[in-house]
Amino acid sequence: MKKFQDRIGLSMPGLLFGVFLLLLPWFPPFNKEYILRWLIAALIVGASAIAFDFSGGFIAVINFGFMGFFGLGAYTSALLAIRFHLSPWLTIFIGALSPAILGLLSGLVSLRLRGMMILCFTWFVGLALMGLATKLVFLTRGSLGLPCPTLYKTASNVPYYYTILGMMFVTYLVMKLVIQSHYGLAFRAIGQNMEAARTSGINPLKFRVVNFILACAFAGWIGGFYAHYYGVLTPDLMSTAKTTEVLVIAYIGGRGSLWGGAVAAVPFVFAMEVIRSVLSDMPGLNLIIYGLFLIFVMLYYPGGLAEGYRKIVAKLRVKEIAQH
Amino acid sequence: MICGGLSNVGEAIVMEPVIVRFFRWLKSSAGITILVTLVIAAYAAMDQGAYVIINILVTGGMWALMAMGLTLMFGVMNISNFAHGEYFMIGTLVAYYVFTPLHQHLESHPNHLLTLVAPVIAVFSAFVVGGMSGILTDRLVFYPLRKRSKENWLMNCFLLTLGISVILINAHQLIFGTQYKGIVRYWPLPPVSLFGVYISIDRLFASVLAIVTIAIFWVFMKYTKVGQALRAVSQDETGALMVGISVDNIQLLAMIMSCALAAMAGGSLLFMYPSYPTVGLEPLYNSWFVIIIVGFGNIAGAAAGGFMIALLQILTRVYVGEGWEYVIPVLLIALVLIVKPNGLFGSKVRGIWEK
Repeated sequence: MKKFQDRIGLSMPGLLFGVFLLLLPWFPPFNKEYILRWLIAALIVGASAIAFDFSGGFIAVINFGFMGFFGLGAYTSALLAIRFHLSPWLTIFIGALSPAILGLLSGLVSLRLRGMMILCFTWFVGLALMGLATKLVFLTRGSLGLPCPTLYKTASNVPYYYTILGMMFVTYLVMKLVIQSHYGLAFRAIGQNMEAARTSGINPLKFRVVNFILACAFAGWIGGFYAHYYGVLTPDLMSTAKTTEVLVIAYIGGRGSLWGGAVAAVPFVFAMEVIRSVLSDMPGLNLIIYGLFLIFVMLYYPGGLAEGYRKIVAKLRVKEIAQH
Repeated sequence: MICGGLSNVGEAIVMEPVIVRFFRWLKSSAGITILVTLVIAAYAAMDQGAYVIINILVTGGMWALMAMGLTLMFGVMNISNFAHGEYFMIGTLVAYYVFTPLHQHLESHPNHLLTLVAPVIAVFSAFVVGGMSGILTDRLVFYPLRKRSKENWLMNCFLLTLGISVILINAHQLIFGTQYKGIVRYWPLPPVSLFGVYISIDRLFASVLAIVTIAIFWVFMKYTKVGQALRAVSQDETGALMVGISVDNIQLLAMIMSCALAAMAGGSLLFMYPSYPTVGLEPLYNSWFVIIIVGFGNIAGAAAGGFMIALLQILTRVYVGEGWEYVIPVLLIALVLIVKPNGLFGSKVRGIWEK
């Protein structure tokens, strides 16, 4: 049995990164409210990227309707809080159930198929959810936006920052523990070679569905935070462009690493926001840079950040051994 | 793999009367689907008027062209292109910026010949620019990746096309702005009457263009050397290389054809789809919808599927309401995937998937 800190993949740089994020809101210029808002946006994307990588990086299933599930959780949570006057703290957990159920249904339909089919099907599901959110005006107020209660009564962003940081950490912890269990072994086997996994007695459908449900549930949970942080929901949230953002962060972080997305999100989303506010007279330029960056990473460094980290660690190990 | 329906050597040897073969085909899922589609189309036409048929021919033909391009690219290059809608967008943009100056010129200097020819010039330049953007994309993005490594090719290419899509959409927004750049109509002529329905020349032109292009494409793929080479590469790249086919050039050609067809679809539908940054989403959605429904790697199926999707959309719009076009298809796809996971026109695409 491995030690707990090994099982959750705790290392010195990881710990430092965690402490860095914990202390960040206290240092200028990060203690300004608008910069905190950017950081929270970055952490939401980071936490989503972890959940995305959980299925994308391990069972090789790209959930291209990710933000659809995210938005379903957000809308469910918001509607429960509005209609039944429940506390948002309760509804974000109940809200995570509806994407989990939808994940089960769409998983049962699509997950026995091959990668590209699943990708397209989840994409269609995401777009259908967006279409529903737009058309069911009596429920969601459509593109007018659905106002919903916030988690805290203060105007300060600091409590939200620590909440989403904690949620990101919990997402990472749960997913890492699952990956370290025998379920994780099965996930990886399916992701690497499905036929071989099937031959060794793994039922791909079962494990894929379990993985998919978990990823969707966490997507919905983070979506619930999104709803009760911004306090307003529009169907736009579920658009393919938003899914692409999460996907790109997850891939720049490195597929199959879980932490890569979280580490990539903070500087990357932050930089994007800075570029956008600096070049506000040239709309779209920040996204062009973003696209170019994606293409360059995919062409010349497809392993992402995690790959670079692994290489550095390996080099240090070699040096260490050589010194002894 | 993209030869589904194009060359069935096995069937040709069995000499059965045509009528027997026809009935056997009717009993296959492809036959049943097409039969059902025709019946539904006929019912809708009787219920709503014959304009339904014309609309199916206009948009369906263009979705068919786009889906065929996607299938071709997937078969020959193993790229699942999520930037395909952006080539449609390029087509609308080029057609707009070619047609508008010509149109303004014509207002001050009336010229009957040019009035007739200007739209054709616009659509043709969309076609050409689409092809050129295909060359650029291949040489700048996919060619370097092919040379570097083929590891994890499907996934990397998917991400690359996403990147291309983001860049093109935002480049459009940055350079040309977000406003709608559209035209009222191409030809300032009165609509013609066909079977008691009035059809504008634009629609007539678009549907004829689509059907003629599909026919040319078919002949090209089936009877020319280059078409055979395209099919060979899609079946087995190494084998094609061994018999002396320049795989690089063939892949470039597939890319050019695919992008040019998408741009042409955009150009000829400019009167329905004004150019704006995200105009490509609906065509992209439709062409992927076609491919999922009919099955991957089936060009003939893609051509038929385009019309089926157009019918479904029109029925949704007429009987359910505007804006539900994204909701209804999912239910249908779920149904198809449960019953026939390989698609209605069931072709067996193996090989690439296992890589």
